[in-house]
Amino acid sequence: MRKLIKYFLGIATLTFSFSFFNTAYSLDLVFSEDRPDLRTLDPRITQSRHEEMLIVNIFDQLIAADSNGNHYPGLAKKWDVSSDGLEYTFHLRDDVTFHDGTKFNAAAVKATFDSIVDPETGSQGAVDILGPYASTEVIDEYTAKVVFNRRYGSALTAFTETELSIVSPTALEKLGNEGFGMAPVGTGPFKFKNWEANKKVELVRNDDYNWAPEYMDGSGPSQVSTLTYRLIKDTSTRVAALEAGEVHIAELVPPLDMRRFDASGDLKTITGTVSGLPYAAFLNTTVGVFQDINVRKAFFHSLDRVKMTNDLFFGYAEAAFGPISSSTPSYWKGNEDYYQYDVAGAEALLEEAGWKMGSDGVREKNGEKLTVFFPCLLEPDTCVAIQGYANKVGFDVNVEVVMKARQDELIFANGYDMLVIRWVSLDPGVLIIPFHSRNIPEPGKFKFNWARYANSGLDQLLEDAESAETQETKDDLYMQIQKHIMDQAIFLAIHDQVQTVAYSPDLEGVRFANGNWQLRMYDVRNK
Amino acid sequence: MNFFIKKLIIVIPTLYIAWTVVFVTLNIIPGDPVNLMLGGRPASEEVRENVRKNLGLDKPVAERYVSFLINATKGDLGKSYLTRQPVTKMIKENMMPTIQLSIGGLIFGVFFGVFFGIIAGTKPNSMRDTFAMVIALCGISLPSFWIGMMLIFIFGTTLGWVPIVGEGFVSLILPSISVGLFFAGGMARLTRSSLVDVLNQDYIRTAKSKGLSTYNIILKHSLRNAMIPPVTLLGIQFGLLITGAVITEEVFARPGLGQLLLQAILAKDIPLVQALVVYMTAVYIFLNLIVDFTYGIIDPRIRLERKSA
Repeated sequence: MRKLIKYFLGIATLTFSFSFFNTAYSLDLVFSEDRPDLRTLDPRITQSRHEEMLIVNIFDQLIAADSNGNHYPGLAKKWDVSSDGLEYTFHLRDDVTFHDGTKFNAAAVKATFDSIVDPETGSQGAVDILGPYASTEVIDEYTAKVVFNRRYGSALTAFTETELSIVSPTALEKLGNEGFGMAPVGTGPFKFKNWEANKKVELVRNDDYNWAPEYMDGSGPSQVSTLTYRLIKDTSTRVAALEAGEVHIAELVPPLDMRRFDASGDLKTITGTVSGLPYAAFLNTTVGVFQDINVRKAFFHSLDRVKMTNDLFFGYAEAAFGPISSSTPSYWKGNEDYYQYDVAGAEALLEEAGWKMGSDGVREKNGEKLTVFFPCLLEPDTCVAIQGYANKVGFDVNVEVVMKARQDELIFANGYDMLVIRWVSLDPGVLIIPFHSRNIPEPGKFKFNWARYANSGLDQLLEDAESAETQETKDDLYMQIQKHIMDQAIFLAIHDQVQTVAYSPDLEGVRFANGNWQLRMYDVRNK
Repeated sequence: MNFFIKKLIIVIPTLYIAWTVVFVTLNIIPGDPVNLMLGGRPASEEVRENVRKNLGLDKPVAERYVSFLINATKGDLGKSYLTRQPVTKMIKENMMPTIQLSIGGLIFGVFFGVFFGIIAGTKPNSMRDTFAMVIALCGISLPSFWIGMMLIFIFGTTLGWVPIVGEGFVSLILPSISVGLFFAGGMARLTRSSLVDVLNQDYIRTAKSKGLSTYNIILKHSLRNAMIPPVTLLGIQFGLLITGAVITEEVFARPGLGQLLLQAILAKDIPLVQALVVYMTAVYIFLNLIVDFTYGIIDPRIRLERKSA
């Protein structure tokens, strides 16, 4: 027994001395993630914004883009587009090497893009982003021509996407698709070093890096010598580790903690408004009460989205109004004039549609209740807030918090009145996926037009916008598309998606990548 | 020895049944692994069909079952749908952290469990008995996520004594306490009641009348005889720990089999779930054997009974 007590005292002393060592940490940067299940770090395969958090720091793209989506020379010094919009000729930098010593050149560009469209690769994101890709021609060592099958209006944005990062062809050949995803080789400011499953990924500085895009503050290698990505799923642990100084940067920090840090000044914060689809609900136009456009409009009017967003996010997210978020290119300001908070207006629309208030506070028509089935996959608190507002004008909203598998079943069976969504996307071209009639889900076929809205006029607009010749036409077509969606009241935007980041006050240079979700660590330095 | 051979013969059919039940269940419950894997992300239909084909999910269920089975008999448990890594590799990677946490929890649990059990059991219905049992009750009934968060708050954030998500041995202390507390609670209660029983036996009265010291009576004469029920509990609880402590792993951001299984089930990653279930079943059977074996050491009469049986 005495021995045991001695043993435990020994452990206690050990603990003290260890924590002493820990206070003298090096300049390594530690980052925490909200997901424990990174699967691959291959930009060609992944479509996970969490995996891309690391990928943006390991790889470069042909065209660089800052957090506002402005384009700069990247691995390509300049580029020309043929007059028919089918050929993109890239004049590449001749001073770039991959982390494994392979020379970056036109052959690497060709190998990357050709492998993306190879079904064997199993690309989940890049192949869609590459769109109507036909082939890449190696004109000479440092000139590559990418050819499309038809005009592709989103091509330049596509070449800035993380998914179209250029990968080392020698590493690819050596490691194969699966091996490459576990030990990626790119040209970026950080090199992959080590991955402990479900725990952490370590990157080290690329000492040869001398091709930072011009919008960065620094040049040459980064000042950060090691980047450790700790995977901490539990929010309170993530925040506690940040406050204890064990990690230096944390993402997805709850708004309440963001407010606390801003008030105390103990930690610095940045918030990114993510481009793409805001947090929004599709209203099902084919079954139930939302078949009637007036009922849909009444539902829109019943929500005070500004107050609701403020109550949920304490000023760290803005209410959203349109089908794409305000930070997405071609966003139409006119969205914000639609469907203001108007209880009287909502009630009038419902009365007009024949829904009379019942004694239990739920409206009725021909003995049927104004009931809405709302399976909620994302942000249950927001779903419940929506429920509360809609109830005031006589909707009976049944919120069921669901897992993905249950939601999929409901989608296949057309068994829902509304469903929520949110996406990160750099281009308004993403709208074709949830609004084209060919994307209405069928049993066994998972697709994204969850409003199940079919309109040949809208389909045509979406197709035309995809191959628009000039930016003006593109903006105009996406304006018409957004207006159409708003007029039909099929997609109820609630709030912008935000990425809330808090970090040590000793650091500066923390910046978002394009899309405002991932962080570029290249410029981070000690004050 | 016969006894062990008999037990081992049961192992293989048990594993096979567990493995098949998982395959059948996961194929019956709703949810398509491809859609679950791609999440709500805007992947096109071509992408979905291609992923399905690459994973072999375009083949009929019966065909997949047979090819799984053939590969399994060759020792190849397949590749995870999610990561496309061999499932045995994934289990291996997550096994060490789980074993470390289990042993940490076991040491903490046994030490404090037996300690409080003795405090309470040697003087039943006294103040110190009540005190020890209240602590044991807390250990059993407080939810582990709460204990975990409190430990982080007190020792990590406020006092700063131990790292919250650090590396190495020190990072094991708080999670071990977190899982060990539950363990300790059950051990303490069982040790107490068992000890109370034993201390009322005639041979203890004899020992006392021989003039042996209290220390000697408790540690040498009573505790050994009182340990059979706690050892059984130990086997069961260690079995629970070694198959992963989901909540503790999540709160302390530790890798481990609990998290792995949870992710695999949610994603309907059938090969991974099957492999994990086989592993866990095997561990349970193995631990049961060890417990049986330990009985014989604690109480030689059991060994004799087995021989004569």
